[in-house]
Amino acid sequence: MEHWQRSLKSGLVKMFLNNIVFAVTGDMTGWELFKNSLLPMIQGGIKYTIPLTLISFAIGIVIALLTALMRLAKTKILTVPARVYVSAIRGTPLLVQLFIIFFGLGSIGLTIDPFPSAIIAFSLNVGAYGSEIIRASIASIPKGQWEAAQTIGMSYSQSLRRIILPQATRVSIPPLSNTFISLVKDTSLASLILVTELFRKAQEIAARTYDFMLLYVEAAILYWVICFVLSIIQDQIENRLNRYVAR
Amino acid sequence: MFLSVKGLSKSFGELDVLKTINITIDEGNIITIIGPSGSGKTTLLRCLNALEIPDEGVLAFHDGFEIAFGNKLKKKKLMELSRKAGMVFQSYNLFPHKTALQNVTEGPLIVQNRNKNEVLELAESLLHKVGLADKMNLYPHQLSGGQQQRVGIARALAIEPELMLFDEPTSALDPELVGDVLKVIKDLAKEGWTMVIVTHELKFAEQVSDSIIFMDQGQIIEQGPPSQVLKHPKHERTSQFIQRVVNP
Repeated sequence: MEHWQRSLKSGLVKMFLNNIVFAVTGDMTGWELFKNSLLPMIQGGIKYTIPLTLISFAIGIVIALLTALMRLAKTKILTVPARVYVSAIRGTPLLVQLFIIFFGLGSIGLTIDPFPSAIIAFSLNVGAYGSEIIRASIASIPKGQWEAAQTIGMSYSQSLRRIILPQATRVSIPPLSNTFISLVKDTSLASLILVTELFRKAQEIAARTYDFMLLYVEAAILYWVICFVLSIIQDQIENRLNRYVAR
Repeated sequence: MFLSVKGLSKSFGELDVLKTINITIDEGNIITIIGPSGSGKTTLLRCLNALEIPDEGVLAFHDGFEIAFGNKLKKKKLMELSRKAGMVFQSYNLFPHKTALQNVTEGPLIVQNRNKNEVLELAESLLHKVGLADKMNLYPHQLSGGQQQRVGIARALAIEPELMLFDEPTSALDPELVGDVLKVIKDLAKEGWTMVIVTHELKFAEQVSDSIIFMDQGQIIEQGPPSQVLKHPKHERTSQFIQRVVNP
């Protein structure tokens, strides 16, 4: 290929990229803006989105397990509070819960910083949705497993820990992964209570450059990448836990 | 006398499943319970192990341990009762996430807190005894029904119970696998275990039992040595049942 042909070709590609896929903004091309905003967005993701997800999920799972065990108990003192909690969280929008914890509590003198506010709201959410998943997976383990555990002398907590929960975990991984992936995306709501996570960064840059399409699509791609990686991890956990199941 | 069962009653709602059952079991005796489905034989067996809590009645053991049903019982007392007996289930109920060996070691290791090497040795010898020395590290789904049931027997023996209970141990098995399981139970009989077996295998019952109990509609209709109950039953219902089982 002649030199002029090569430069014409690369020039055409550049023009295509600059003018058709990405709009030209000021003196920065779309591609440059994309590249330049990548770093702050990833920083927002690493500093806030991912920690927010991991911490909320960890706390949420503990709440979920306790709530599930309360729901499965035989006394109303335990089942009723668990039911009310799950019903209240599932029956109200997450955004409203976030606003109550951050702005609402703040307005009556109980000020909580944005990040911990978000952690509280997301943990309570995972706790409620996760408890239903864990409850159903515990209930799906055949009664004979409890009985077999009892006949070798196990107490309730031994049966639960050694026999029932390991099997229930396998059942609950796919639905809990759904909850986890939803949580990754729901953390974008924290932008509305001033947590400078991934989407908040996108909003800030968009407000300066007016390049809404580019930046929000970029944010979407980043969320997609995170969720894609998570679903690969989910597959691996499932394969590992399925090793004792007949195929 | 090893165990005396006095006035045991149990109902599920309106249905009286057990109506004032009395039995005595002597040390080293093998009692087989037969009867049509719904006769209460499995419920009776499960009452001996606290898997089912009777509404009324008393269980009195040779060592002075006595448990009277009817009022609220302490969990600890029920756990003591369930630890006296090893149970073998119709559907095996092995722990699917544990290997054959782990199924057997779970009781002595986790519940009884025994020494790990000692437990491993015990479990290996028990699996050897039931003919599964070469399958120890397989998971239940990798074993046939008969092999799973033999792991179930080893698991029950591992807690070193005083009494072995079998709830239709061969009913879920393919016919060609029944023999291996029955052979293991026969070996246990020779070792002098006290056992209560619910079964449909009349020929097997005849061979191993010291005493056969025929139950129908929650009552013991007839009890006696196999030669009597199976060959010369005193009651019309017993002979009808045996006829139906032998010539279906």
